[in-house]
Amino acid sequence: MKEFNWSKYSKPLILVAFVVILSILRPKAFLSLNNFSNVLWSVSVIGIMVCGTIFVFLIGGIDLSIATLCAFTAVVVVEITHLLGDTPVAVCVGVVAALAVGALAGAVHGLIITTFHIPAFLVTFATQSIFLGLAMVLTNNKIVSCTVPAFTAIGAMKILGFPLPVYFMLVMAVISWFILRKTVYGRYVYAVGGNSMASAISGIHVKGVSIGCYVLSGLTTALGGIVLASMTQQASSSTGSGYTNDVITAGVIGGVSLLGGEGTVPGAIFGAVLMGLLNNGLNLMSVPSTHAGLVKGLVIIVAVAFDAMQHADQSKKKARKVKKRGESV
Amino acid sequence: MMKKAIALMMTTAMLMSMTAGIVSADRREDPAAQTAAAGESSKQRLDPYAGDEIKIAYIAHDIGTPNNQGWKEGIERECGSWSNIKVDSYGAEEKAENQVQIMTDCINQGYNAIILQCSDGTALAPSVRQAEEAGIPVITVNLDCSSDTIHSALVMAVDYDAGRMAAEKMAEQLGEEGDIAIIQGVPGLTRTDNLEQGFRDTIANYPNINIVDAQSASFQKDTAMTVMNSFLQSYENLKGVFAINDAMAEGAALAAESANKKGEICIWGADGEKDALAMIESGDMAGTIYTNSWDEGSTAAKIALLMIGSEYSYTCLTETPKVIMEPIVVTAENVGDIAEEDRW
Repeated sequence: MKEFNWSKYSKPLILVAFVVILSILRPKAFLSLNNFSNVLWSVSVIGIMVCGTIFVFLIGGIDLSIATLCAFTAVVVVEITHLLGDTPVAVCVGVVAALAVGALAGAVHGLIITTFHIPAFLVTFATQSIFLGLAMVLTNNKIVSCTVPAFTAIGAMKILGFPLPVYFMLVMAVISWFILRKTVYGRYVYAVGGNSMASAISGIHVKGVSIGCYVLSGLTTALGGIVLASMTQQASSSTGSGYTNDVITAGVIGGVSLLGGEGTVPGAIFGAVLMGLLNNGLNLMSVPSTHAGLVKGLVIIVAVAFDAMQHADQSKKKARKVKKRGESV
Repeated sequence: MMKKAIALMMTTAMLMSMTAGIVSADRREDPAAQTAAAGESSKQRLDPYAGDEIKIAYIAHDIGTPNNQGWKEGIERECGSWSNIKVDSYGAEEKAENQVQIMTDCINQGYNAIILQCSDGTALAPSVRQAEEAGIPVITVNLDCSSDTIHSALVMAVDYDAGRMAAEKMAEQLGEEGDIAIIQGVPGLTRTDNLEQGFRDTIANYPNINIVDAQSASFQKDTAMTVMNSFLQSYENLKGVFAINDAMAEGAALAAESANKKGEICIWGADGEKDALAMIESGDMAGTIYTNSWDEGSTAAKIALLMIGSEYSYTCLTETPKVIMEPIVVTAENVGDIAEEDRW
């Protein structure tokens, strides 16, 4: 009989365990479609961003400019909407411009990193200041409000009880998953992350693959910025502050290796949803903010340790099988 | 008219409190101690209104917030009429260590006065002392350094009383009964802790109003939306929410609107920024405690120029003079009274 592969299901199991625990502790408040919708809504921006940033992680890169690029693109969409007269068309132009800015920023990152062989950490560390500066200059360092209905609908409109950003997250997750799993480019990304030298020797255009990853990261960051600005109906240089850490944390919790070559989109989304569930649970149980950080840290360690343990067991079993096969040959 | 009256009141209060400090210093019985104290400052008297070149530094905790922008603009307006007075603004990106560094740089560059919003009272106290000893008057805004560090002045919006006023008006709007919740900022900041305490102490006088929960949203609008969603999920009978600042109150109002509860929940903020006033007008928020940040910045600048132009230094003071800004309780009934030019 085939042995049940626990490691494959450890992440969904952790989420189910969370749902069961919170359902027992706060059945009335937690177990409702509305609450699940709230949880998914609260992680949607991080979820959207991690769907693109995972490409950068997979090639062993990093993007420290997520938060400030998010702010910059949020400012771009709001300012362009105002500039063109606050009409629905202006919103569309603003959205396209912000996405273009995100993609361009990613392309610049990729080009600098691959052409001058500067570590991604340093390049994105520098550009985070540039994006922050640009956001400050564009807004004169003020909060710019935008209550144009066509714009606020992006973050507030609901379809079947779920807000639009949740659908954005799901669509982005499916697209990213498809690219990584079902296309040649996706296999190249894993190959470059696993061993870029070997990939280059085997004919993969490493530079092109890498630039593509940064472009995708920039695009999803811009989309996150647009959605966040729409949710809060405003943009400023501090829009999205703290999101760099959140996105990286979601990825790492979801099993994405920052060294490259390892990680999946469902894993990264799991990381984001786990963080959302945790925050939601702490809020619903009225855990005071002075204790919330402590509880959050402990729960994340337990959840990630459980997941890692399952994977370690699976790896050992695989190794044993390989060894047995070797002995029999 | 109201603006002028407030400005006059503040200036009077400032002069009175400073005089009180100076008078009590004059009454010190030990002249030797006085001389020694006076020797600690190397302050030079300059006349800002007679063409002397003046440089003022404004150091904010986070220069991007509406409050900071209001203060900055107030300072610049006050000094803008004189070409010999230059104002430089610095943001510390919410880090006390950055403020300490900027303070050191400003002292070395020989600024004539520093207007500072302290990120951390204890961490900034040595820098404030160092500046005053170097003859640079330091005027703190809203967030002060630790109380034993005497410096030129503190200009602040009311905190405890703002909480009290919000609680009283909110209780009236709720008919003195119902479940309410608080959205907190970052715990540990004197102003916001006092605000919350003022609110809690006053609500305690209404036995039928229960504070059912209090969660932090770290002053962030988007986080406040998530916190508000949890409140709405947990407490079906929630009647009111008090957020420690307006940005969080705006986030709570957006979450309530998204849950089809616009106007059903009595949402209060504090600060009085223009977006909050607009939300009160549209019925999304029930009220806020308004303070004119432009006047607050302008008052800080007035005191800075007064100190630069006077022969007095911090050594003449027995305690830091405080100027407390007039708060206005704003609801749908009187929000129209706040003119566009007073909305920051």
